[in-house]
Amino acid sequence: MNRAVATGSIALTLASALTLTACGGSGGAGVAADAKQTLTVWAMGTEGEKLGDVAKEYEKAHSNIKVKITPIGWDVAHQKLVAAAAAGKLPDVMQMGGSYLGEFADMGVLEPVDTKTFREGDFFPAAWQQGSYDGKTYGVPWYVDTRVLFYRTDLAAKAGIKKAPATMAELRSAAEAYQNKADTKWGLSIQPGGLDTVQSFYQFLYSAGGAIIDDNGKAVVNSDAAVKALENYGSYFDKGLSEKSVRPGYDVTKDFNSGAVPMFFGGPWITNLLDENYPDIKGKWAVAPVPADEASVSMAGGSSLAVSADSDHKAAAKELVSYLTGAKGQADWFERTNDLPANTAAWKTGELATDPTMQVWRKQMDTARATPSQPKLTEITSKVDTAIESVTQGKSSAKAALDKAQSEIESLVQ
Amino acid sequence: MSLTTGPAVPQAAVDKSPDSAGNSGRARRGRRSLSKHNLTGWLFSTPFLVLFGVFMLFPIVATLLMSFTDFGARNVTRPLEAEFVGLDNYTQLFQDDKFLKALFNTAYFVVVGVPATIVLGLLAAILLNNGIDRARTLFRVGFYAPVVTTIVAVAVVWRFVLDPSDGLIASLASEVGLTAPDFLGSETWAMPSLITMAVWRNLGTVMVLCIAGLQAIPAEVREAARLDGAGAWQELRGITVPLLRPTLLYATVITTIGYLNVFEEPFVMTQGGPSDSTLTVSLDMYREGFNFFHMGYASAMAYVLFVVIMGITVLQLRLLKDNTR
Repeated sequence: MNRAVATGSIALTLASALTLTACGGSGGAGVAADAKQTLTVWAMGTEGEKLGDVAKEYEKAHSNIKVKITPIGWDVAHQKLVAAAAAGKLPDVMQMGGSYLGEFADMGVLEPVDTKTFREGDFFPAAWQQGSYDGKTYGVPWYVDTRVLFYRTDLAAKAGIKKAPATMAELRSAAEAYQNKADTKWGLSIQPGGLDTVQSFYQFLYSAGGAIIDDNGKAVVNSDAAVKALENYGSYFDKGLSEKSVRPGYDVTKDFNSGAVPMFFGGPWITNLLDENYPDIKGKWAVAPVPADEASVSMAGGSSLAVSADSDHKAAAKELVSYLTGAKGQADWFERTNDLPANTAAWKTGELATDPTMQVWRKQMDTARATPSQPKLTEITSKVDTAIESVTQGKSSAKAALDKAQSEIESLVQ
Repeated sequence: MSLTTGPAVPQAAVDKSPDSAGNSGRARRGRRSLSKHNLTGWLFSTPFLVLFGVFMLFPIVATLLMSFTDFGARNVTRPLEAEFVGLDNYTQLFQDDKFLKALFNTAYFVVVGVPATIVLGLLAAILLNNGIDRARTLFRVGFYAPVVTTIVAVAVVWRFVLDPSDGLIASLASEVGLTAPDFLGSETWAMPSLITMAVWRNLGTVMVLCIAGLQAIPAEVREAARLDGAGAWQELRGITVPLLRPTLLYATVITTIGYLNVFEEPFVMTQGGPSDSTLTVSLDMYREGFNFFHMGYASAMAYVLFVVIMGITVLQLRLLKDNTR
């Protein structure tokens, strides 16, 4: 991008923002749910692509409503949402990534969720927490994701590992055994640095009982537990168990297939990737819960559905969101996308209830922890990324790196 | 970064041709003529002027104003609540280690990248203009292809070339018993790798400019030199380079501006890492603006970059142009 474009786009945001003040909030009377209307919906990535089919079925059952889906790429989603928010042109319903919600709620462009229709108890606690900001709920959990341990069972047999590592100490010895006895290049793949390294670190941090921000919104990233977690994380790089080199766009499944990497933490979509791209190793790998430190706690991610505060179709939007987040809609959605349902009732039928692999995800989700919604979350986690990188590259001790991050984050939390 | 967007007529941009006198004469005549002619002129320029005003002038002014405020995410919906902070953003910039590092990295990119691009572009031009008789077009297209290839495709290819475990260079090195460095993952090698990539992508532009310039050099001049017994090196130093000076000046200026703005290479290849070793000013600006939403701060960065680019360009024009006289 050249400078003119950069300047241009920055300033355009301001320009559209200025226009917004002129048209002001439309609020007030909206269109009734049973009136004839078109609902606009924005969704990202796979969700955006697959939602079209669901919309068609929804339209069949609700002849007065036309659902217009706009798929957006994750790479431009944040920018498009901000620009639309500034211009007052947000769609009626939109998918909100967990890390966005605080920012948009803080801007005042999201409609608070009607907690009589959508009940906290129906969803995983971490999923519900991600839709909340400043004591209010703005997003209804749509799907969740968390990380579990993927490991090669065939190589484990070679390495003399009898069962999946259940504690952090066992994880370490498994990594060593893989490397020494099964001749794998690495022991465990965790990200050494770069953007969103924190997602690899959450498993260590949360399991050790640490956090970046506590439930009261205070920065606690240099707590003893966090320091211990980062020391543990960094030691994999010291000892050559994990690759120290930062490789942007690295695809771990390739090395998992070749056996260079026998263990990594991955999300639910990895299962599909492995089945589709590497059928040769089917049956030679399994998933296990995050090895416990103080406890086995993984990160919670996923997306919520939010309704725009400016929407004229709030009633119909609410019905669509109900449909998508209800037990039936969620089970159907899982069939189509393999996205893990956020609504716990959806887990009571079919594959979700019986498949042992799915039970690993389910159990992990029960205790998974979400990062509290914060308007500056992206910036906050980037400070943690920097801290982690300085440790994995051997430039700083865990304590010093986290002390630095702590002082930076303190000025960013609200 | 792509250089193809610059003005396409190198010679006219720097030549002190008689043309400029002719132009001003025409302009004088125009001013004296009927206002109807003026009206037609304005009418034809209006679409451009409107677009220029909306998409260039307004953003430029708005950015300047924004650079004196603390405009952030909150202000997207409440822009008038942005607070005026005077020169705070600017003073903060020069105490910001990250920005200073980005500034240093950008300078590194320019200081190494510009000479390499110009020299290699010129050599490619000379080679293709004189040296290779067969398949000349094929080679010209080959050298120019990287210029018109999208950065995403380029990134895929270069990742394959540079990959430390099974990349092209790593494989070749291991064939002969050497270990290739971890190009993108090491703080020492990441920047040189990106510069190499940028040179590869941009030397085609310089080459095309130089070929055009070379073909404008009269054959008699070369013949005269050869009759006087000049060798290849003397011909290059005494004839080619001096006569190509306007072209080379233009190529240097646009390449420098392009490299001062470098964004795409670090964005797609390294995301500024490892440890910010490839963070450039444009990338830092993009992050501050669009990831963290420090719009005021990012705007100030844009203006600092603008002043730097302007200063360097003026300096280059002065230094290099005066030499030709």
